[in-house]
Amino acid sequence: MEEYPEELRTPPVTLISIVGCPELHTTISKHLHSEQPPINTLALPDFTKISLFSKPEPDDPSPSPPIGILKRDWLSKHRTKIPSVLAALFSHSQLSSDPAAWLQVCSHIDQIKTVLRPRNIKLLVAVVLSDSNEDVSEDRMLALRKRVDLDSKYVVVFNQNEYSQSLQRLGSVLAELANLYYRDEGRRIKLRIEKKTFSSPGLELHIRYCFKVAVYAEFRRDWGEALRFYDEAYHILRQMIGTSKRLPAIQRLVEIKIVAEQLNFKISTLLLHAGKVAEAVTWFRQHNASYRRLVGAPEAIFLHWEWLSRQFLVFAELLDKSSAVIKNISSLVLATAEKPLTEWESRPAYYYQLAAQYLEEKRSSFEIALSMSETANEIDNSAESVVPSTYVGQFARLLEQGDIFVMQPLTDEEYIRFAVAEGKRFQDSFEIIALLKKSYESYSNLKVQRMASLCGFHMAREHYAVGEFNNAKPLFEGITNLYRQEGWVTLLWEVLGYLQECARKQGAVKDFIEYSLEMAALPASSGTDTQSFRFKNCGPAGPASLAQREVIHKEVLVLVSGESGLASVENSTNLKITVDNPLHLEIDLVSPLRSVLLASVAFHEQIIKPNSSTLITLSLLSQLPLTVEIDQLEVQFNQSDCNFIIMNSQRSPLASMADDKQGRRVETSPSLTLSTNRWLRLTYDIKSDQSGKLECTSVIAKMGPHFTICCRAESPASMDDLPIWKFEDRVESSPTKDPALAFTGQKAAQVEEPDPQVDLNLGASGPAFVGESFIVPVTVISTGHAVYAGELKINLVDVRGGGLFSPRETESLSMDSHHVELLGISGPEGEDETQLGTDEIKKIQKSFGLVSVPFLKCGESWSCKLEIKWHRPKPVMLYVSLGYSPHSNESTAQKVNVHKSLQIEGKTAVEFSHQIMLPFRRDPLLLSKIKLVPDPDQPASLPLCEKSVLIVSVKNSAEVPLRLLSMSLEVDNEGIEGSCSMQHEHETLLDPALLVPGEKFKKVFTVISEANSSKLRLGTVCVRWRRDSVNEEQSGSTIVSVLTTQTLPDVNAELPPLVVSLDCPPYAILGDPFTFLVKIQNQTQLLQEVKFSLADAQSFVLSGSHNDTVFVLPKSEYILNYKLVPLASGIQQLPRFTLTSERYSAGFQPSVNASTIFVFPSKPHFKVADMEDKRKESIVAE
Amino acid sequence: MIVCVAVVGHQNNPLYIQSFTEADDALKLHHIVHCSLDVVDERVNNPKKSGPTLNETFLGLLYPTENYKVYGYLTNTKVKFILVTTDLDVRDADVRNFFRRFHAAYVDAVSNPFHVPGKKITSRTFAERVSTIVKSFGSSSAG
Amino acid sequence: MGREVSESCVDSLLTEMVSSYCDRFYANKPDLAARRIEAIGFQVGLQLSERYTMERPRFSDHLEAIKFICKDFWSELFKKQIDNLKTNHRGTFVLQDNRFRWLARMSVDPSPENGDLSQDNPPAENKAAQATSMHLYFPCGIIRGALSNLGIPCAVTADISNLPACSFVVRIKA
Repeated sequence: MEEYPEELRTPPVTLISIVGCPELHTTISKHLHSEQPPINTLALPDFTKISLFSKPEPDDPSPSPPIGILKRDWLSKHRTKIPSVLAALFSHSQLSSDPAAWLQVCSHIDQIKTVLRPRNIKLLVAVVLSDSNEDVSEDRMLALRKRVDLDSKYVVVFNQNEYSQSLQRLGSVLAELANLYYRDEGRRIKLRIEKKTFSSPGLELHIRYCFKVAVYAEFRRDWGEALRFYDEAYHILRQMIGTSKRLPAIQRLVEIKIVAEQLNFKISTLLLHAGKVAEAVTWFRQHNASYRRLVGAPEAIFLHWEWLSRQFLVFAELLDKSSAVIKNISSLVLATAEKPLTEWESRPAYYYQLAAQYLEEKRSSFEIALSMSETANEIDNSAESVVPSTYVGQFARLLEQGDIFVMQPLTDEEYIRFAVAEGKRFQDSFEIIALLKKSYESYSNLKVQRMASLCGFHMAREHYAVGEFNNAKPLFEGITNLYRQEGWVTLLWEVLGYLQECARKQGAVKDFIEYSLEMAALPASSGTDTQSFRFKNCGPAGPASLAQREVIHKEVLVLVSGESGLASVENSTNLKITVDNPLHLEIDLVSPLRSVLLASVAFHEQIIKPNSSTLITLSLLSQLPLTVEIDQLEVQFNQSDCNFIIMNSQRSPLASMADDKQGRRVETSPSLTLSTNRWLRLTYDIKSDQSGKLECTSVIAKMGPHFTICCRAESPASMDDLPIWKFEDRVESSPTKDPALAFTGQKAAQVEEPDPQVDLNLGASGPAFVGESFIVPVTVISTGHAVYAGELKINLVDVRGGGLFSPRETESLSMDSHHVELLGISGPEGEDETQLGTDEIKKIQKSFGLVSVPFLKCGESWSCKLEIKWHRPKPVMLYVSLGYSPHSNESTAQKVNVHKSLQIEGKTAVEFSHQIMLPFRRDPLLLSKIKLVPDPDQPASLPLCEKSVLIVSVKNSAEVPLRLLSMSLEVDNEGIEGSCSMQHEHETLLDPALLVPGEKFKKVFTVISEANSSKLRLGTVCVRWRRDSVNEEQSGSTIVSVLTTQTLPDVNAELPPLVVSLDCPPYAILGDPFTFLVKIQNQTQLLQEVKFSLADAQSFVLSGSHNDTVFVLPKSEYILNYKLVPLASGIQQLPRFTLTSERYSAGFQPSVNASTIFVFPSKPHFKVADMEDKRKESIVAE
Repeated sequence: MIVCVAVVGHQNNPLYIQSFTEADDALKLHHIVHCSLDVVDERVNNPKKSGPTLNETFLGLLYPTENYKVYGYLTNTKVKFILVTTDLDVRDADVRNFFRRFHAAYVDAVSNPFHVPGKKITSRTFAERVSTIVKSFGSSSAG
Repeated sequence: MGREVSESCVDSLLTEMVSSYCDRFYANKPDLAARRIEAIGFQVGLQLSERYTMERPRFSDHLEAIKFICKDFWSELFKKQIDNLKTNHRGTFVLQDNRFRWLARMSVDPSPENGDLSQDNPPAENKAAQATSMHLYFPCGIIRGALSNLGIPCAVTADISNLPACSFVVRIKA
C-alpha cells in the first residue's frame, strides 16, 4: 500500500486557491485546513500567477482514440494544482481609494474570470476591512458585485476586527462553492457517460469518466456515489480484457490489472471505511476470483503472481487498519445465507499469508523467467531508459532526441526484459518472511496455533533456504512441539528433517543425533499414502518412510560407532564423536526421545528387608527401525551402593570401560539387543542394607566408545504412553511378563529398618491405683548387637482419645488435664540419679519422658523404673520406644527403633461409704423430712443434741489385697459456725487390717451435733493403706503407704420438736408379759397436741389405749404404758406406733428396725453385760 | 473432486488421512487439514458466530484456501472429519450427504472389536469404503 | 444397525466373561479381574456411544449427555430407560434402573426381609454380593466408556443395596 501514490492512498481533499492580500494567506489556509472536512489551500502571491490555472489549448481538437485508461497525473492534478474555488481578496484601500486602484481591481477581476471560465472554477470575492471604522461605500460594493457578476453571498466582507467570525464565514462559503464545483464537474462528466459521447469500443473513456465522477463524488464526500462509479468502472474494465487490442498483449493485461488494482483499492477502502467488513471481504473475494486466473503469457507469469500477492497484501493492510478502528471484528456477523464467510477471511493474517504464498509463486516463476533470458547484461542496459508513461499501468522508453524526450512504446519482449530487470532488484525472500511474520504474529495473537505454525514453518523454510540456520532453528523447534503433541507424524518428519539438516550444516553433533534418532523412531512406516509423497515436495529428509528411517538410523549408528565422521557432509570434521568429543544424551519423561529408548524398572516387592535380596526387572524398549546393540548398561539408584553394570558378553569389553567400574557390581548378560517395539527384559537381584527408599533413578546405555544415553527410569504402573506411538495401531506389550507387576510395578521400594535385636520389657504388675506411685520397670536387654546412643522415649496417652501429648503441648496445658502423670524415671538399681552424667539426656514432663540409655554390650541389660501417678481412675497407654544405633561412631547410620506399649488401668483402690444412725429406738420428728416434695439433693438431717452414730466403711475395690494402716475422720471446724463433736477411736490401727478384694472395713463414729445449723460438716475420711504384697521384704521400703481421703457430705442438723422413744426390754420370752413404754418428748416451748395410734400385732397381745389424742406439755415427756404378751417366738414386729403431730400436721412412725424384738421360746441363759461390750467394739460387721 | 479426507481424533491427532490426488501435494494437504482444525476449534469454542448451526455435527465450510475448499464435521465424540475438495461450486447437501455416509463408515470401522479406540484406523475395508464414498461424491444420486 | 442378538446370548456371554476372568485368568486377583472386565466394558461403551450418537447434534453440557445415556443409550441396550436420575448438581449423578436386566436372572436373594437371617452367615452373603458386583463392572465400564467418549471423564460405581434395582453412580472428574 505504501507504494501507492499519496493521492490514491488518501481520500481526496478539497483544494481552493486564494489570491490577493498575501498577509492573510497563512491564517486563512491554516483555518481552512483545520476545518472539518479540511480544505487545502493554494495561495497565490499575486494576481499574475492566476494564469497557472489556465487550460492549455488542446493540441489536436479532433477526438483521437484514447491511448490509455487513466492519466497518471489526473488525480494529483486535481488535488494539488486545480482548485475548485478561487478566492480573490481585495483590501479596503484597493476599493475605496482612488479610481486607479479600482481600475486595477476591475482588471484583476476580468483576468480572473477569463482564466477560470474554461475550467469552471468558482470565484469568490472578499473585501478585507482592516479597521472597524473602515467602510466600503454602498455603490462601490454594488459596482464590485456587478463587475464580478456573482451572487451577493459570494462577495463577502472579511472584517479583521471580527476575525474568527469572518474566517468562519469565509470557510463555509468556500466549502459551499467547492462542493458546488465538484458537483458540477461530476454532473458534466456524468452527462458525457449518459450521452455516450465516446466511441463504443473506447471503453477506456467510459472507465475514465466513471473514475472521474467517483473522484468528484469523493471530493464531495458522497461515498455512495463514489462507490457506485468505481464499481461501474471496475466492471467495464473487466469487459475490456477480451476486447481491447490497443497494446501488445502482455502490456495490455498489465495496464488493466494495474487500473483494476487502483479501483479495487478504492472500493475496498470505501467499504471498509464504512465499516462494511463483510461486504469488503466478499468484494475482495470476487476481485480475486475474477483476476486470479488471468495469468497471462507464460513468460510474464511472475508479473501476475506479484500483482496478486500485492492485492492480498494491500487488502491485509487495509483490514489491519480498519480492524483497529472496528474494535470488535469477531462480533460481526459475517456469514450470510448465500455467501458464507469463514472466520479467517476477516482476519488480516489470512491475507498476509496468501500474499506470502503468491510471492513464493512469483519467485519460482520469476526464476524460470530469469533462466530463460540468458542475455542478462543486455537487459540491464536497455531497461534503464524505461519509465512509466503518462497513463496508469503503461510503460514507455524515454528516448532523448536532442533536447526533447520522446516516449516510445515498448514491445512485449522489451517490456519483459524491463520487468525482469526490475524484479532482480528485489529480494523476495525477505519480503516473504516479512509477510509470513506478520501473519504468524497475527495468528499467534489470536491463539490460532496451527495456522501460526504453518506460517512459522514457511518462515523457517525461507530462512533455511537463504542459509540463516540460526533464525530457522528456533522457528522449526517451536513448531515441532505442536506436531509432536498432536501426533502429526508426516508434518513432524518434515520439520525434523529441516532441523536435522540445520544441525548438520551447523556442525551441532548433539542436535544432529537427537533429531536423527527422533526421526528414526517416528512411526512413519505404514502410512498408506506415503508413496504419493514425491521427493521434491518433501523436506531435506526425504519422504517419511520406513526405508528412510532406516537410512537415518544407519547414519547415526555409523556416527556413534566413532569409526568415521559423516562422509557425506562437506565439513565432516565437525560431526564426529571422539574421545575428546563424547556425546551424552539425556532422556527424561517428557523428552521426544522416549520412543528411542524407554526404561521401565519394577521392583518385584514393594517392601524389602535390609540385606535380603529381591528381584528387580529392568525393561528397555526402542522404536528404532533397526536392531540396536547396547555395549553396557548401568543401572543407577538413589543409593549409589546399589548401582550395577550389565555388560554385553558378546562385546569384548572396551578398554575405556574397565576403569570406571571398580568396586561396582558387574553383571553380564548374554545379549543386550533391542529390536523394534520389543521389550528387552532383564531381571536381577538387588539388595540394600540401608533402610529407607530405594529408587532406581536412571539407566545409562552405552553404545560405541563415546556415546551414552541416560534414560530416566519409569515405573510400569505410572508409565505414560509414548506420545506419538500411542496413536499407532501396534502390538503393545507390557514391560514385565507378570501382568500384575505391569499394573502395579514401581521403580522404588521401601527398605525396612534392620530388625532390632534388643528386648524391651515393660514389667508392669497389674492395675495401678489412684494416688499411689505406680512403678513400671523397663528393661533393655541387648540380645544380638550392642546398643549405642540409646534413647528411651516414654509417652503416656489417654486410651479414650485425647491423643499423644507431645512435650510441647503439655507445657501449655494446665495441670488439670493430667489425670495421669509421669513422676519420674529412676535409674537402674543401685544407681543414684546424681550419678548420671550431666550430658546424659533426661527429660521428664507430665506425660512424656526421655532418658538416655548407656552403651550396652551385646548381652548386657539395663533397666529403669518409671514412676507414674494416677490422679483419676482412667486407663492409660504407656508407650516406650527405644531408639539406638547398632554401630558405634556412625552418626549417619540410621537408628533402629523398638516400640513397646502397655495399657495400664488406673483404678481407685478403696471406696468409701458412710451411714448415719440415730440412737436405737429413739426417733425424732425431723421437720425437714416431712416436706411435701422431697428434695433429692437435700443433705441428710441430724437431730440436734442427739447422739448419732456415723459408720464409715471402706471397701477394697482393687483386685489385690490391701493392707489398711489407719483410718481417721478429720474434722475441720474452723470458720464454720455449726459444729459437732466427734468421738472415735485411735487413728492408727495397731494391727494393719488386711482387706481382701471386695472386703469392707467399717468404723463407727459418734456424732453429736451441737449447733443448729443447716450445714454440718462431718469431716474428711483419711485412709492410709498400702498394697499387701507378698514379697514385701524384697521391695523393702519402696512400697509406701498411700493416703486416700474423701470428704463426707455435709448434713443438716435441726432440733426435732418431738422425739418418740420406744422403751422395751432387749428381748422377750414367749408367753412372758413385758412392759412397752412409748415416750413422747416435747422439746419445744409449746404445748403439743399429738394423736397416736398403736396397731395390733399378730404376735402380741397388748393392753393399753390404741388411739388417743394427748397434749404434751412444753419441755416435758408423755409416757404411754403398754403391756405386751408375746405369742410367737423369733424376731417379731412390735405393734406399730404411729404419731401425728397436730401442730406440724405430720405423722411419723418409728422405724421398722426400732420396733422389732426378739422373742425367745424360753428364758435364755447368758450374761447380758458381755454382749453389750461386744457391740461397743463393733470393728467388723457383716 | 475430493482431494483429501481425514479423520482427526479428539486430541487433534490424525486417525486417518487419505489424499486422492495424483499431484505431489499430499504434504500440503496434510498442512491444510491440520490448519483447518483451528477453525473447528474456533467454531466449537465460539458457537455464537456459527449462528443457526449450533451444535450441529456438520460445521460447514471451514475456510477457502485459494485452490481448495475445506469442510468440517464434528461428531459428538469429538472426532473431526475434514473434507478437502477442489470443486469451486459445492452443494451443501452433497457435503452433508458425504459426511453422513463417511460417519457411518467410520462408526463401523471403530466398532470393530479389534480396533483399539483412539488408534489410527488401518482397516482396509474402511479405506475401500471411503474411496467409494469419495468417488460417488457430487453425483446426483444420494447413496 | 438393525442387527439384533438374542438376549440370552448376551446374558451368557456376560456370565462367561465374568467367570473366565474371575475364576480362570485372574483367579486370586479380584482387583485385576475387575479392572479387566471394566476395561472391556469401557471399550464397548466407547464404541456403542460412537454409534448411537450418530445423526445427533452435539451435546452442549454434561446433563444432556447423561440424559442421552439414560434415555436413548439405555433403550438401545436394555429396551428401557433409566427409571430415576438424580444429581447433586456438582458432578455426581445417580442413575437408577429399577429392574436391571443383567441382574434380573441372578440368583441372589432379592427379599430385603432376609436381612436379619443373613447375618447368621455373613461370609456367604458377602460372597454373593461380591459375585454380583463382579457382574457390574461391565455395565459400569460401558457407562464410563460412553461418557468418556462424549468428553466427560468420570468414575462409575454401582450400588445394589436394594436388588433388583441397581444404581449407577457417576462422578464426573473435574
